[in-house]
Amino acid sequence: MPEAGRVRKGVGTVLFMFVITLIFISALTLVNLLTLERVERNRELLRQRAVLYSAGLSLPESDVETAELFDRNVREVRGDQGGLLFYEVRPPGQADPAGYVVVRGDPGLWGEIETSIGYDPGLERLLGLDFIKQNETPGLGARISESWFREQFRGKRGPFRLVPEGVESAEDEFQAITGATSTSNAVLDILNRSIEEDLPRIAAERGKP
Amino acid sequence: MKAYKVKEIVTTNLGKGNPVFVQVLGICSTLAVTNVLKNTLVMCAGLIFVTGLSNLTVSALRRYIPARIRMMVETLIIASYVIVVDLVLQAYLPDIARQLGPYVGLIITNCIIMGRAEAFAMSNSAGYSLLDGLTAGLGYAYVLIIIAFFRELLGSGSIWGIRVLGPWWTNWSIMVMAPGAFFMLGLFIWIVKGLWMKEVKKS
Repeated sequence: MPEAGRVRKGVGTVLFMFVITLIFISALTLVNLLTLERVERNRELLRQRAVLYSAGLSLPESDVETAELFDRNVREVRGDQGGLLFYEVRPPGQADPAGYVVVRGDPGLWGEIETSIGYDPGLERLLGLDFIKQNETPGLGARISESWFREQFRGKRGPFRLVPEGVESAEDEFQAITGATSTSNAVLDILNRSIEEDLPRIAAERGKP
Repeated sequence: MKAYKVKEIVTTNLGKGNPVFVQVLGICSTLAVTNVLKNTLVMCAGLIFVTGLSNLTVSALRRYIPARIRMMVETLIIASYVIVVDLVLQAYLPDIARQLGPYVGLIITNCIIMGRAEAFAMSNSAGYSLLDGLTAGLGYAYVLIIIAFFRELLGSGSIWGIRVLGPWWTNWSIMVMAPGAFFMLGLFIWIVKGLWMKEVKKS
């Protein structure tokens, strides 16, 4: 094929790919815009559920009730720069807070794990733990979202150590997941790092208006 | 559409050329999402949608797609439909979207879809290609649903999240874990190939 023909064919191929990519991306942008509001609302609801769950409150069935419970009982505590530091959970009619919840993002095996960690008012024990976002290996590391794994943290006190799955754990231990050593270690690091970094911050900021 | 060709497409995808138990494709999600029936059904609906529409689109564009970039174009088409499924799930079924996790996105790499686009849609008309995509998806779906039915029943004592086996039943934990899926799929292939397909071959 002469040089000019080859160039024309090459340009045509690139142009085709460019146009078809543009068409599909435009269509996807439209779908994204149409669903964006709903997706954002679902994400917010998920965060609210995680905060309430890790504060040890029982979750209502409906989304509306969950949002109402969150609005009534949870106060965002922000730093001097306006950034969110932690949540103060204070059930109505009670003078003292029922606990404090920190939402933090830390590295997992495949991506960020966003965790909601609840501490008791004395900042000594965990009220609960929930995962807002995780991309761990399905069937292995992703099992951190299972109820038995999250429930085992209630009332425990760090710094933590791991014990094998199925083995009874002491108050400073939690069961790892069999076959998911890296994810179990990531959760261990998240908790111990939170105890080290977040508790002094909560202690310094709590009680401020 | 010619009746004999329609019959050929349907019987091949649902039976003698089934993507799961004959071609052994799409096994990753077959193993991963079949521990709960509800998730399986949503995954199957997503895959049927993507296989059908990607086949239709590839077939409609097949005369214009330059041969040397055809697989790039096919991937673009498949990925676009998968993103649509993902966004719709995140908007309307957020809990199931969370439980399915990366498996919705991984529909892009499901060999059944690319396989049908390459083997069928690139050389057949849009109507036949749509039918081929839908039935290939259905062939995948019914196998997954059967496996999920037994995994959820034996592993959790429930169907569709509703407890059907009494308190006397001890859940087979292995059934909700990955090894349970291997056993069930192996058993399924053994039964189908050993009994049914042997009979078909003989006759």
